[in-house]
Amino acid sequence: MKKIAIFFSAATIISFAACKKNDTPVVNADPRAFGVSVNGSIVTVKNLPADTIVGIGAMGPYGVGKYTFFSLGANGLVASTDSASSNWDMAFAGTTVRVNCGTSGPGNGGAFVFNGTFEGLASVPSDSTFKTDNAPAAYAIPKGSGKGWYTYDGPNNLVTATPGKVLVIRTANGKYAKVEILNYYRGGVTPSTTATDSIKSFDSRYYTFRYTYQGNGTTTF
Amino acid sequence: MIKAIPLFFFGLFPFISSFGQKDSVSKDKMMEEVIVTSNRTPTKLGNIAVPVQTISQKTIKQIGSQRLKDILQEQAGLYITNGFGAGVQMQGLNPDYTLILINGEPLVGRTAGVLDINRISIGNIKKIEIVKGPSSSLYGSEAMAGVINIITDNASHKEVEAGIRYGFGNPDKGWSWPAGINAFKNTDLHFKVQNKIGKTGVIISSDAFYIDGLSYRPYSTLRVPQPIWRLTQQLTLNHEINAKANVSLVARCGYDHIKQEFAVTNNGGVSNSYGREANTDINIIPSFNYSFNKNTNTSFKLYHTFYNGSQKLYFSDKPDSIYDDEFKQKLYRLENQTDKVWKNMKLTAGIGITLDQANSTRYDNVSRTKKNTITYGFAQHEWRISKNFLAIGGIRYDHNQLFAAAFSPKIALRYDLSQKLSWIGSIGRGFKAPDFRQLYLNFTNNAAGGYSVLGSIDAVSVITQMQHNGLIADIKDDFYKLSTLTPEFSTGINTGIKYKIDKNWNMEINVFRNDIEGLIDVRQVATKTNGAQIFSYINIRKAFTQGAECNINGAISQNLKISAGYQFLSTADKDELALVKSGKVYTRNSDGTSRLLTLKEYAGLPNRSKHMANLKFTYENQNGFYTTARCIYRSRWYVADSDGNGLYNTNDESAEGFLLFNFSVGKEFKKHWTLYGGMDNISNHQDANYLPNLQGRMIYTGINYKF
Repeated sequence: MKKIAIFFSAATIISFAACKKNDTPVVNADPRAFGVSVNGSIVTVKNLPADTIVGIGAMGPYGVGKYTFFSLGANGLVASTDSASSNWDMAFAGTTVRVNCGTSGPGNGGAFVFNGTFEGLASVPSDSTFKTDNAPAAYAIPKGSGKGWYTYDGPNNLVTATPGKVLVIRTANGKYAKVEILNYYRGGVTPSTTATDSIKSFDSRYYTFRYTYQGNGTTTF
Repeated sequence: MIKAIPLFFFGLFPFISSFGQKDSVSKDKMMEEVIVTSNRTPTKLGNIAVPVQTISQKTIKQIGSQRLKDILQEQAGLYITNGFGAGVQMQGLNPDYTLILINGEPLVGRTAGVLDINRISIGNIKKIEIVKGPSSSLYGSEAMAGVINIITDNASHKEVEAGIRYGFGNPDKGWSWPAGINAFKNTDLHFKVQNKIGKTGVIISSDAFYIDGLSYRPYSTLRVPQPIWRLTQQLTLNHEINAKANVSLVARCGYDHIKQEFAVTNNGGVSNSYGREANTDINIIPSFNYSFNKNTNTSFKLYHTFYNGSQKLYFSDKPDSIYDDEFKQKLYRLENQTDKVWKNMKLTAGIGITLDQANSTRYDNVSRTKKNTITYGFAQHEWRISKNFLAIGGIRYDHNQLFAAAFSPKIALRYDLSQKLSWIGSIGRGFKAPDFRQLYLNFTNNAAGGYSVLGSIDAVSVITQMQHNGLIADIKDDFYKLSTLTPEFSTGINTGIKYKIDKNWNMEINVFRNDIEGLIDVRQVATKTNGAQIFSYINIRKAFTQGAECNINGAISQNLKISAGYQFLSTADKDELALVKSGKVYTRNSDGTSRLLTLKEYAGLPNRSKHMANLKFTYENQNGFYTTARCIYRSRWYVADSDGNGLYNTNDESAEGFLLFNFSVGKEFKKHWTLYGGMDNISNHQDANYLPNLQGRMIYTGINYKF
């Protein structure tokens, strides 16, 4: 089995295009750094920053309000200048996940949340309905605790990716992928309930997820 | 090693029982013990058909503590919870469901359902009785898991008693003398005067306790325990009017002052704040008792209790108050109880009325004072059908002004198979009425993200109003389930054996199951536009707790006694259990990937340990010397749903099990003096996150004078 690993340090996220030209895989053991690794048909993305916290104000922690765009077909980030194109499939900011369709982008995307395991989803069920983004009223991947992919524990101020939720994505180009969000915190580990609010805020909005992309246009994974 | 402990206790049973049989010379002159709590009337141990534990004054003294918490945590099947003070978890039920009485009357002033037993000093306690299983048929609301009755002394002779106790610890530095911020000391001063002049007896007792603060919780300047002053005064008067009538008055006043100094995090920003919490707690019980004849007795009680708790916090950098919280509760009760005894029967019946009133800054602004009137009647009939067979049936009806009435029947049976072996069994219904907080709370926690909790009565109108004002982002499904709260009901079954192995050894085994319906749960009902959650209360959950308890007491020799207890507990939320069984709940592997949760992984209700055990050795001799060695074990418990699947399972955040060792020693000398000392938590076990109130190793010494 051929393994390709491309790693990026957090500092080089912005200069994504430049990194891609580097053919030699960079071995980066930092568990808190952004990285994409491919293992057979499963691609794992670690520490994808999603409008990370830059400060704490009167209304609480805030980011700069920008989405991070990702291409499931190309296994990598897409520059935000390409947001009006079909180059990206999913976009992340805070707990909001958009797909390239409807009010979010020009693509032919769509999505729904499947209850079950990632491995257990062998193909897109034939009776599936893909939803499209219709911000701010509705999103293909519903916003809110317990509605989409996550559970928010208010008193402990923690966001947990709900187990048993698979995001079934139709990409911008009409291909299919299944995505499982694994964690919302930097390093892929949810802070303990007794961690400080500062850790809970500044380590949040870093997605770890895995996916399988079916590039041949069929619905089988 | 921790896992092996329960097995160790079990393995000990045959050993100690056979050991005990070798030695049966010691004299057993004890009169048969009388229990007042289980039947609400003095009843000999041989006529008790429910599981009962008693703690004598001597046992309390030998433990060398002045706090009730220290005594109760060494009893099998009781666990002292952390959070909103120290609460008592019995038979796996939350502290909300255990009724705590002083001389048969309830203590009030619960915070989030927890009655903080740290408030109670044990200076004048004659005895503590613990009755397990629902006792609502006699006591009404809250007596769902059981009842703890603290019985104070009556004056019988002239006596003066005074004592001082000093303790210190230094969890960081182990053995060295306390120094620096992490050393802490506690001091207790107490005295008691009693006299009997003619037909009037009087006792005045007083206790003052001070403990330094201690900070060892990571990331927090909050000192746990916080520096606390606790004062308790008690007056007991009893007067015999004539051979048939007597009056008594018990008045108790407790006062706590807790100094607070900590960092408040507000949306991730940190401000240092300081302030204080003060609680006053007054109980007054005048009663009149009249015996028509040897077999008929009636008593009137007028109970008044008052609780006032307040908390004020200020920002260090701003003079204006940021947090000003006050809670007051008053309860008046008038009650008559009559007992009548026939040859093989006994009837106990009573009626009463309770006026309960609470006032809180956390209730809505329209009217901060909330009232409820409860009228009730109860009857219990005890019938010795044959020499070996005893049946007790009881029933109670509580009529509530604010919500549905509660009807609580109970039947208990006892069959003496032989002089040594008895079987007991009981089935009863328990209930807990919704408290004022669950009905009227209107609280927004600005110090922690701005979430709100609303009582069920106003939740719908408040949220609807907010929606009109555009403050609500989203309404949850549970919002449509909001309705008037009803009491929570349980059905409890207890059955077991009492086995008198020989003169010196006793064993009791009890198996229990409590099925609870309409459990009130805090659910998110809406989200504000700023993302903060709104919670309210719904009668929604069904749960059970079940388990077995075993207690063994015995004497290895005339001077050396041993007692051991063990409880196995299993709990579940019935809806969660059904979801897990139907394969609809997922969890995560250690690599973060999802998979189905297995039934074995389901952990039931949070904050419960599957295994709890205690072991105690007491040595005492004729010269007034005594020493005790005690150990307490509690297995792992789950604290947070960290995998986000909505229930507690073995992959969630848990607190590790622990083993505590305590030791005490004392000696009477020159007739009037007792010098004692000891060490609590010898192994210096600490768990800053999950056992914030457990101090590290503590060494103490004290002296008592009695004349």
